[in-house]
Parts: sequence; C-alpha cells; structure tokens
Amino acid sequence: MSFALQSRQVGFGRSAHPAQTQYQQSQPQPYQQSQPQPQQANAGLALPYPSNPYLPGPSGLALPGPAPVYPSQPQPTQQAQPAQSQQQAQQQQSHSPTATQTNATAGPSSPPSTIPATPAPLTLEQQHITAVDGIVPTLQNIVATVNLDCRLDLKTIALHARNAEYNPKRFAAVIMRIRDPKTTALIFASGKMVVTGAKSEDDSRLASRKYARIVQKLGFDAKFSEFKIQNIVGSCDVKFPIRLEGLAYSHGQFSSYEPELFPGLIYRMIKPKVVLLIFVSGKIVLTGAKVREEIYTAFNTIYTVLVEFRKP
Amino acid sequence: MASAYYEFYRGSSIGMALTDSLDELITSGAITPQLAMKVLQQFDKSLADIMVKQVKTKTTLKGHLHTYRLCDDVWTFIVKNPTFKMESNEQVSAPKIKIVACKNGDAIEAGKK
Repeated sequence: MSFALQSRQVGFGRSAHPAQTQYQQSQPQPYQQSQPQPQQANAGLALPYPSNPYLPGPSGLALPGPAPVYPSQPQPTQQAQPAQSQQQAQQQQSHSPTATQTNATAGPSSPPSTIPATPAPLTLEQQHITAVDGIVPTLQNIVATVNLDCRLDLKTIALHARNAEYNPKRFAAVIMRIRDPKTTALIFASGKMVVTGAKSEDDSRLASRKYARIVQKLGFDAKFSEFKIQNIVGSCDVKFPIRLEGLAYSHGQFSSYEPELFPGLIYRMIKPKVVLLIFVSGKIVLTGAKVREEIYTAFNTIYTVLVEFRKP
Repeated sequence: MASAYYEFYRGSSIGMALTDSLDELITSGAITPQLAMKVLQQFDKSLADIMVKQVKTKTTLKGHLHTYRLCDDVWTFIVKNPTFKMESNEQVSAPKIKIVACKNGDAIEAGKK
C-alpha cells in the first residue's frame, strides 16, 4: 500500500509540470492574435509574439514603421525560439490576467505615434478592437470534474479529513475545502469529484490533485483520471454605460432582457458558445466557456457591439 | 431513549467527578455497575436538558478557524488563537481550542421526524 502511494506521489509532482509548461506555451497565442489581427491580417498566423512589436517605442522612434518589420520577420519555426522564451518569462507573472493586461495596454496607447508611420491607419472600428486589449476579462471561477475511479466511503472521509462536511440528509456528497488554492470539492461515493472556485486552469488542476491526494491518504485507491474543465467564468468592466434595450432589440435572437426578472441582459453567443450577462453599468460576466480563449474571444466580439450601444 | 443523548459531558470536570465517585461506590460494593450506568445515563440527559433550559450565559469568540468538520450532525471546530469576550467584559484567550457542537435533545427528535 505504502509503495503504491509513494509511486503515485512522485507521479503527481512530475506530470504536473509538463502539463503546466505545455499549457503556458500555448496559452498566450490565441488572445494575443486577436490584437494584431485587425491591424495586419497577413501577420495573423506568424504571431505567437507578445505585444512588444506594438510598443510605441520601437515603431515610433527607431523603425520606419511596423509594416516593413513584419514581412522580414522569420517564419514561425525560427521565430519560435525567442517567442517561447519571451512567453515563458512573461508567463511567470502572467498567469493572472493583470500581467497580460499591462502587457496589452501598450497596444491601445500606441496609435498616436504609430498612425502616421503605419501604412494603413487604423479605422475607428479597429481602434476599438485594439482597445479591447486594454480590458482583459478576469477569470473568476473554474469548475472541473475528476474521476477518482474508486468507490469511496464518504463517512470515513468526513470523519478523518479536515474541513469536510457530510450531511447525507441534505446532500449525498462530502463537501471539502482547501485553502491553497482556495477551492471547494464535492466528493461523491462513486469516486467522482467536482472542484470549484479556482481562478486559473492550473490552480484547478493543482487543487484537484490535492483533493485526490487527501482521499488517497485516507486509504482509498484513488487515481487522478478524466480531469476536465467544465466551465470557466470571467468578468470585466467596459467602463461605460450600455443601452440594454437597444442591444436587446437589434440582437434579439441572442438576447433576453427582462428587467423585471433580472436587471442584466442575457446574451447567448453562438460562436464561441458563451453566455454573457451584460449590465447597464458596463459590467460584464461571461460564462459557459470550456477554455480561457472562448472568454477572451467572446469579450472581444461583444465589445465591438457594446460600443455601438454606449449610452450617450 | 437514553441513547438519544450524547455522552460527551462525561468528559467534563463534573462528569469526571461523578464517574470517579461511582467507581468508588462500585469498588466499595455500595452500588452495582448497572446502577452506575443508569446514573450516568441520567447525567447525560439531565446535563443536556440543563444546558438548553437553564444556561443563559453567552460569550462571543473570535479567532482563526483552522479546521471544521460536520459528520453525523456533530460539528467540530478547531480555532486557533481565540479570544472570548464574556458577558462581564472579561477577555480570555488561548492558543487553540476545539469546539464540539451537537444538537440538543429536542433537535434530535425533530431531525428524526
């Protein structure tokens, strides 16, 4: 028994890291793409690049303009090296969207200096799209499921684990919490588990592993299988008031706005399949995404729409 | 019926004193062990009732909740660095305490229905 546990413990440490780095490398691409695209469509693919090229400094001062730079840029294969290292360096701080945010704000602030230099100046609409990058939705909650693949005696778990609640009359699962990452798990007798409350994918995974480990330590032959993120919730503030009636009217097929029932407009976006709660105040909640990019894409998509319905 | 009451008050100082006395009486032959058990069960019941009906003293406490547990309708809390504020405005603190909270007799009956 103890041998089995030990070998598993080692596995925990190892497999967590590759997963993490892999994720980190692939992470920034999609939502950074959304930034360059409107400016320069042909550069779209070759840009797993952070927004540094868009910094006002280089484009405004030293270089004639960003446009000549891009065609001469090596293709992704060669580019991969600096891009990756840059990403990784950035990743350390950047898991939290705040870091990406600071990075991204460089974009919108550049137009004054870049517009004269850029061959194709940004249209008004495109500026709005880039401005989206100044606002990055913050992830608020991630719900994941795990299959421990082993029947569990919930009473044993409730009696021996810390911070556990088990009241079978109310709910047929043990409710367990840990402080770091601050999450809650519902552990069912079937061995299935739901982990909620994490603020990032990595935290969600780490927390799930910690719960699995706790269950293991109580003497169950729990595995860590079928980890899947089921929902991601994000939120942000566009910092201007919105005419919800107008939005509901012109986007009727996606919108449901019943101010007597709920003060926000419920916007069911089809692609990506994300539900948005839009409030008069300009605060937005995005939910229903399975991957972080869907939140960002949905926000970028809705932002252009919201700008139209800005309250005068 | 008697089993409806928790036995944890036997671990309190008054419960310990009672248990010691009963032990003494049993060893000296004054009472039978069965009678002693009956007395203890009555003690469980009486103390539970008294706690509900006659003890009105209150205290508030503040501290860091280190651990909690709910199992079989019993809450267990381990609180670190609690400070108790008594009604007399007296303050008492401790490095760590454990609170065990059970339903009283009535609530148990209510829960069964």
